[in-house]
Amino acid sequence: MLKSEEKKDIIQYVPFMSFVHPSFWHSLTEMKLNVDKLNESTKQVFGRYSYRDDTVSVFEVDGTSFNTNPEIELHYINVTGTLMNKNTIEDFKNIDKASLINSVGEIMRANIQTKSWIDNPNNLLNFFILSFADLKKFHYYYWFAFPAPSQPIVCLKEKCQNISTYFNEKQIKDISKSFQVLETTQKCFFAIIKNNDTAEVVKLSKILDKNSKELKINLTNTFFAFADHSNGPNPGWPLRIFLAALLDFCPNLSKTTIQIIGIRCSKNGSLTSSQIYNITVPEGVQTPENIGWVGWERNDRGNFGPKLANMSASMDPVKLADTSSDLNIKLMKWRLVPDLNVDVMKNTKCLLLGSGTLGCHVARDLLAWGFRHITFVDNGKVSYSNPTRQVLYTFQDCLNGGKRKAEAAADNIKLILPTVQSQGLNLHIPMPGHPIGESLKQETITNVKLLTEAIESHDVIFLLLDTREARWLPTLISAHYGKIVINAALGFDSYLVMRHGISSVPKETSMNSSYVSGDQLGCYFCNDVTAPGNSAKDRTLDQQCTVSRPGAAAVAAALAVELLVALLQHRLRVKAPALYNITDEDIDSELQGVLGPIPHSIRGFLHSYQTVLPTCTKFKQCIACSQVVINKYREEGIEFLMKVFNSGTYLEEITGLTELQLTAEMTEILTFSDEDQENTDDA
Amino acid sequence: MSSITPEEFVHTAKKFIELSDKFFDSWSFHQNDNDILKTYVKKEEFVNHRDEGEKVFLYRAEYIIFYNLSYGVPSFSFNIWNSSGTLLTLEEVRQMSLMKISKEDFYSVITQQEHPVMHRPYFIIHPCNTEKILLYFKHTTKNLIVTFLGLITPLIQLNLPLEYGL
Ligand SMILES: [Zn+2]
Repeated sequence: MLKSEEKKDIIQYVPFMSFVHPSFWHSLTEMKLNVDKLNESTKQVFGRYSYRDDTVSVFEVDGTSFNTNPEIELHYINVTGTLMNKNTIEDFKNIDKASLINSVGEIMRANIQTKSWIDNPNNLLNFFILSFADLKKFHYYYWFAFPAPSQPIVCLKEKCQNISTYFNEKQIKDISKSFQVLETTQKCFFAIIKNNDTAEVVKLSKILDKNSKELKINLTNTFFAFADHSNGPNPGWPLRIFLAALLDFCPNLSKTTIQIIGIRCSKNGSLTSSQIYNITVPEGVQTPENIGWVGWERNDRGNFGPKLANMSASMDPVKLADTSSDLNIKLMKWRLVPDLNVDVMKNTKCLLLGSGTLGCHVARDLLAWGFRHITFVDNGKVSYSNPTRQVLYTFQDCLNGGKRKAEAAADNIKLILPTVQSQGLNLHIPMPGHPIGESLKQETITNVKLLTEAIESHDVIFLLLDTREARWLPTLISAHYGKIVINAALGFDSYLVMRHGISSVPKETSMNSSYVSGDQLGCYFCNDVTAPGNSAKDRTLDQQCTVSRPGAAAVAAALAVELLVALLQHRLRVKAPALYNITDEDIDSELQGVLGPIPHSIRGFLHSYQTVLPTCTKFKQCIACSQVVINKYREEGIEFLMKVFNSGTYLEEITGLTELQLTAEMTEILTFSDEDQENTDDA
Repeated sequence: MSSITPEEFVHTAKKFIELSDKFFDSWSFHQNDNDILKTYVKKEEFVNHRDEGEKVFLYRAEYIIFYNLSYGVPSFSFNIWNSSGTLLTLEEVRQMSLMKISKEDFYSVITQQEHPVMHRPYFIIHPCNTEKILLYFKHTTKNLIVTFLGLITPLIQLNLPLEYGL
């Protein structure tokens, strides 16, 4: 019974809770990368704690902890400590924590025995940080220790009492004043001597004589004082080491009651919330021959173990780039377009067929809109003429015969934003009317398979190729899989940007409807009545990009991406209707998306700075997206495709286009006559 | 003109620190002699948050007022972190109601970006409305930063001493 009561009185110190400022990890990282590198030697660091009565019991380190001299802050005590940063997680885990704290403790004990702390009481305070910095992930494992000897065990004679029970108002003011002018290195541990009506703060060296074991002071009016971080009834952790030092210096103190003042200060500097602890040293519980050191901090789960600071969100440059570019999209949502769906761009996978002028521009615009999955397809290499127009390539990519375009584009877009998921597929797209020799048959089959798999595994297919024939196979396969297709083609100073419908079953659209449902829209080939053959005839579109005005590709690519985003943001996505007359002032809100009405196609002319927005439905006999062609493809697969590649007329035969040739020629004549008119104007 | 010059900002900041010292509000003044635009005032404090399970979490909040060159007004920025130094996300800040802000206002007004002075990510209150409002006060207020903080307080709970006369 007696024993348990005694136990209850054993003093409980309020431990420190380590609190790390983000700048501490920034400084540590800089130091590790630029100064220490693989050097593992320990480093001096500063930490501090406050004895303010309105702050919690924390021990703080920050970016200035690594300075040569500590920053002085009002109502804070600076503590000199040691950082041991390990190079590997194994070293960090395997180091013997008990012997580590004991070895620090033995140095502290030696310090106590030299009595240097009487002149420099700051020397009694110490802390230790064991750490491991994973600088690839910006994860910091760390463990604080505040070493103190496990002995002597002391008791609180009675509950702590407010300073006013021993000192009157005037005396407390005296203490405040003389404490304020005390040197900062003396503020952690000192003494207070109470006279009749006054009280004064004195340095320890004034009352403790290093050369004598006896105290020459009257203990009844002498109080030992320490800067107390605690706000509760128990004293702060630094008292533990102070008492150990005092009792080591003067063992006779254990025979009396030691009066201690825990200095606690309010924000205006008043010390009225300071506490008095009366300490006694019980006999028989001390085991001086077996004194260990304690003080490892508990982690957030309450166990003795390390903590982890995951700083990647605020320190990893790759993450910062990613979140910052996301921010641009989010700002649009927060400030201008509240209904904008940010995630749809992130989750949509884009396949870019063609990695030339159009492909490069489209990729950059996709990136700007927050798309993060971009696959490039091309079979060319980067040549010296490319980088000025094809904005993903540099001079370096042209050297040594040139890098493969698709791969260079994928590599370079990751240089712009490392978190983008991108890869390049180097493959040639087979074309109708371009016969495949026996030698290339196997390769062609492989290419068709690769292209088919690529289309199947993406959500959006961009047709950015430089010939009309090359668009046929991806148009067909995309129609078969029902993918969103965005098509862009260039002339010298004109461009076409359009979306394809998905349904292969054309429905009759009422003549007086003001719009066409998105799935009923025509494809690139629906407007043409000639099949793509290997013709040398000049065309206004799909010439080599190098002979178009440079701005045409930039404008067309930008419109292609805007068209896609508008579509993705529309409730009906690929089925979003296209209006015949988009300039109408009162467009039914049902027909619009979050970003406005979405045209079927955009045809622009740089020469006259004009844009027109033609809308047309599917053509029943289309050589790329009609029922008959898709069915043939579904039934015969590669056999069908081979027939198409090898024959310039097969598609026209199966779609019945041959019979329409006459009409076709008529249309062509009409079309050309318009253009001839324009060309005359040019001259 | 509603905007203030960098010199006016520095002058106002110094006067504000005098007030803060007087009311023990622990704002501190940081001047860069080489670059007047890097002058700022800062306050750090501990904040508590009690979760549903009544567990109390301790965080440290830092508030920085700096000069925004584009708008010519003081700008308010802040960060909040836990004991390991990990910054809270904006959503965490909002959900904990450490700061009393409606969701719409919160996201439209506060964004995380690289701090023009501190060169690390901070939450910055967008200054687009500050300019208009400060116009009313520029010639009548005793201290523009005090007025500015008065504008911020509906968005962020700052526990300002009443003595400022907000
Ligand atoms: Zn078609």
